[in-house]
Amino acid sequence: MPANTARRMTTAERVIDVLADVAEDNVVRTDPDIPLFEQDVLDSLRTVDLILALTREFGVDISPAELDRSLWATPKHIVAFMEAKVGA
Amino acid sequence: MTPYASFFYFGLLLYPLAIGLVLAWFGKLTPGILLGLTVAMLVVQYSRIQVEGPNALDKVWTVAGFSLYQLAIASVFLHVRQRLQSKPAFWVAILLSLLPLALVKVAPTTVGVTLIEFVGVSYVTFRSLDVIIGIEDRLITALSSKQYLLFLLFFPTISSGPIDRFRRFAGDLAQPRTRQLLLADVDSGVQHIMRGFAYKFLVAALIKSHWLEPAETGHGMWSTISYMYAYSLYLFFDFAGYSAFAIGVGSMLGIRTPENFRLPFLARNINDFWNRWHISLSIWFRDHVFMRFLLAATRGKWFRSREVASVAAFYVTFLLMGLWHGVALRYVVYGLYHATLLSIHNAFGRWRKKRGKTDPGFGWQVASTALTFQLVCFGLLIFSGRLG
Repeated sequence: MPANTARRMTTAERVIDVLADVAEDNVVRTDPDIPLFEQDVLDSLRTVDLILALTREFGVDISPAELDRSLWATPKHIVAFMEAKVGA
Repeated sequence: MTPYASFFYFGLLLYPLAIGLVLAWFGKLTPGILLGLTVAMLVVQYSRIQVEGPNALDKVWTVAGFSLYQLAIASVFLHVRQRLQSKPAFWVAILLSLLPLALVKVAPTTVGVTLIEFVGVSYVTFRSLDVIIGIEDRLITALSSKQYLLFLLFFPTISSGPIDRFRRFAGDLAQPRTRQLLLADVDSGVQHIMRGFAYKFLVAALIKSHWLEPAETGHGMWSTISYMYAYSLYLFFDFAGYSAFAIGVGSMLGIRTPENFRLPFLARNINDFWNRWHISLSIWFRDHVFMRFLLAATRGKWFRSREVASVAAFYVTFLLMGLWHGVALRYVVYGLYHATLLSIHNAFGRWRKKRGKTDPGFGWQVASTALTFQLVCFGLLIFSGRLG
């Protein structure tokens, strides 16, 4: 996405965009409380893709060791995690 | 003395629990006192009553030496990591930390190595590696020796886990324990300990004496099949019972160790199984081996496709997990078996998703659960060593 649109988007919107892209599932846009791992929207492989994509998008380091699945349980959780991470 | 195996041990447990609970009630159970209770229990647990003379305490010294060695590695590595990021330094720390366990696994009968070995050495090593990885990823930026040693040696879980994580454990230590929270911990503790008795001393013991031991001596295919189910069920009830004791006792002392089993034989598929069986071990491998390997492989473009990379990650992870159980052919085969099942399951999942399949019907779920149970039991038969 071009840099000028990125600047106008909030962190939350950017995270959800990346998540929808990685999960190949738009349910994450409509249901912010869907349990991602229980509903098989995310698994270990997609989580790795998500880490890579979020690192690219926000330029911050994310360690697989900090991804307690209760911390990344839903789209809302991931947004909160990233907001804390980038200080938005 | 083996923890949670004799009534003598349970009688002994009453001392640290009584002291811990009374102090906790008055808000005086500090990490320092908890470490004191742990050291006192370990001295009793690791001294050998049947051995006369100075040798009775040799394993106590082994545990002490081992934990100070690990503390030194973690402290020096933290010092280095605060100044620079160096992959070689990280790998040196990992290898040094693994060294005693590797010696114990590769050459267990060598004279020097028998001195290093103690009950729980592999579980304690997992915890020390967790700290080193946390330091490397800058998740751990300060380390108090007291906290570190307590995490490494916490007596309820030292011998066979569950394998806790440092940051979670430190969070429990830091959380102020209100009386309400304390009562909830005691409640959870009692429930876990009761479950432990039911699983280990009732169900597992009955399976062992009435089914497993008779099947052990039999010959032929039917007896092997019977042994396969007996062994799988026995292993589950024995280990889940042990884990419930460890979690229950830990909970009374304010450490809420995560569950190790969640009805694993009801897993819907093999991936689901690993989220339910020996959970603390499997998520340790998932986070610290599988995902790290896959991240590095993707960043470094080691493989031509994502699919190949994930298959490689499964084999690396499960080969290591197999070897952790012991350097023997059956553990290697066990690891390769599960890596193969997971690779197939994963390819199947992708194929289904591509064809737009979503919710399978109830019949399929039952069939898939039943098939998973068979595959898992066959894996445990390989693991048991009965096939040679």
